[in-house]
Amino acid sequence: MSEIISQSALRALAAEWIAGGKSVAGPARVKPDLVLYRVLRSGDDLLLEGFQRPSNSIKDFLFPKAEKLYGYKIRGNSIELIENDSPEPAQVIIAARPCDAAALPILDHVFNWDFHDEFYNRRRAATTVVTLACSAHDENCFCTSVGLDPGSDRGSDAILFALGNGQYEVRCATEKGHALFDGKTEKSERTGKAITGPEKRFDAQAVRAFVTTHFEDPFWNEHALTCIGCGTCAFSCPACHCFDIVDAGSAAGNARVKTWDSCQFSTFTAHASGHNPRPAQPARQRQRILHKFAIYPEKFGEILCTGCGNCTRNCPVGLGVLSVATEINHG
Amino acid sequence: MDNVYKPDLMEVTRIRQETPDVKSVSLRFLDSGRARDFSFRVGQFGIFSAFGYGESTFNICSSSNWKDHIEFCFRKVGRVTEALWKIEEKDVVGFRGPYGNGYPMEAWKGRDLIFLGGGIAMPPIRCAVWYALENRADYGEITVVYGARTVADLVFLDELDEWSKSERVRIIRCVDPGGETPDWKGEIGFVPHVFERAQVAAKDPVVLVIGPPIMIKNTLPILDKMGVKPASVYTSIENRMKCGIGKCGRCNVGPIYVCKEGPVLTMEQLQGLPADY
Ligand code: SF4
Ligand code: SF4
Ligand code: FES
Repeated sequence: MSEIISQSALRALAAEWIAGGKSVAGPARVKPDLVLYRVLRSGDDLLLEGFQRPSNSIKDFLFPKAEKLYGYKIRGNSIELIENDSPEPAQVIIAARPCDAAALPILDHVFNWDFHDEFYNRRRAATTVVTLACSAHDENCFCTSVGLDPGSDRGSDAILFALGNGQYEVRCATEKGHALFDGKTEKSERTGKAITGPEKRFDAQAVRAFVTTHFEDPFWNEHALTCIGCGTCAFSCPACHCFDIVDAGSAAGNARVKTWDSCQFSTFTAHASGHNPRPAQPARQRQRILHKFAIYPEKFGEILCTGCGNCTRNCPVGLGVLSVATEINHG
Repeated sequence: MDNVYKPDLMEVTRIRQETPDVKSVSLRFLDSGRARDFSFRVGQFGIFSAFGYGESTFNICSSSNWKDHIEFCFRKVGRVTEALWKIEEKDVVGFRGPYGNGYPMEAWKGRDLIFLGGGIAMPPIRCAVWYALENRADYGEITVVYGARTVADLVFLDELDEWSKSERVRIIRCVDPGGETPDWKGEIGFVPHVFERAQVAAKDPVVLVIGPPIMIKNTLPILDKMGVKPASVYTSIENRMKCGIGKCGRCNVGPIYVCKEGPVLTMEQLQGLPADY
């Protein structure tokens, strides 16, 4: 026995969540050739077919591009800090890809080893993730090379499988998932199945072995020549989490803000003295691969990449993890 | 909400201009409970901020035995330090910390201590020297070699005089060739050479060496000749930091997050790490 829901019932349910005050985010077509995860205004905004995956990732809703840490008022030489303690509104992310949802347990480690980042944790606690298993993959998908697959429910509270004819099987994985779908589905004999994954495109262990032994290597020069340091790879990655802390506003003061940053930017590691341990793009490309395949795994026991392919799909010059990793593997 | 990014507010109690572009600043916590409960280890760092401009990372350069205030020292080089340069006594700045590992002062007990510092690297050495002098019986011979480009660039000069009055302490000041003044009484030469010339007779010492990469590089062969093992040579890594708490992804040297497992590392540790600093 399985639980199923029709596409129209799913849209109606999303509309019900929105009407009930929840923020609902999911894939939407924002331009003829651009699909992004974004906050949906209606159930009809939700795009369920006809694209590989959104160009951004669901981290936008847990670790936003810019987040105010606290405000401050300056009066003479007295400073008042102003914190926002209002509760995080409940949010649902619907039709997330498995490679997006799987990044959340990865981010959980970062934001909670030793020190706890409650900005992230509060959003995480207020968020329910409803994943849609993949029914297609493109040439940039490589989840199976990093230990995932198109039907993985890692990081998901519920996962949907397309059954065809506008029907979806619903499998709830957590209490939060049940809270959304219990009583909203119908019994059925039909069960869904994700596609079999893209064939394995590289050996992650071999990539790790290479990066940990080729710190100074002509490979990085050759490989990174074309990188323009735009940071698109990091910004569209579900797992990249580097950030900066900056003061926003005039000297009269208003807020200190956490903003996304990227190891691909030239200023990322620049010392005030002018010295930069990673003076050019080759060292920065190396850092991205090193962090994902060796540094993070050494600390937290898993790869800092879910194989979504975004960094390669979105890179203006065709780099990204897939290109580099396959080059390392076959080169 | 427990906000790990929220700073303590601290009042500036004293400002000293050390050189044309370096100042040291004393701070006290505005919150009396925090002032009472605060403790740190020498070698740890803080994230200091000028509201309206941003945060910047500096070693806490006072001794951890001083209970009524902390100090930091900075060179005017960027946006935040330009703003800090303008602060006055009674102004309020932000402080997060203490962060990082600090020096293993307990483990150093009973050993001779050699401190080698170049330029603006004096503050992170100064806190350890004061700590050792305040616990004088715990440590053996203490040698400090401190150099800067010119006489005008030497910081905490009056304190160096004070230190030299203690027992079993040898203080050697030096400036780079050409940086001396007519009445300069210290040595002339680069820190590694001056140190080598001084023929410091230490047995199984702990060495703390902080300064520009070239200074550290030229010091290591001398220590090697003296038979000092890399595990006894410490430094403090200056990688750029933002969060200080292992999240922002900025400070790593290979798998080591400098803000958490550093900034204090031994040469033995560094030898096993990529040159990413
Ligand atoms: S790898 Fe591509 S996306 Fe990433 S910074 Fe370089 S050019 Fe931009
Ligand atoms: S590194 Fe690239 S493929 Fe891996 S999760 Fe990030 S964007 Fe996706
Ligand atoms: S300073 Fe942010 S991770 Fe170390």
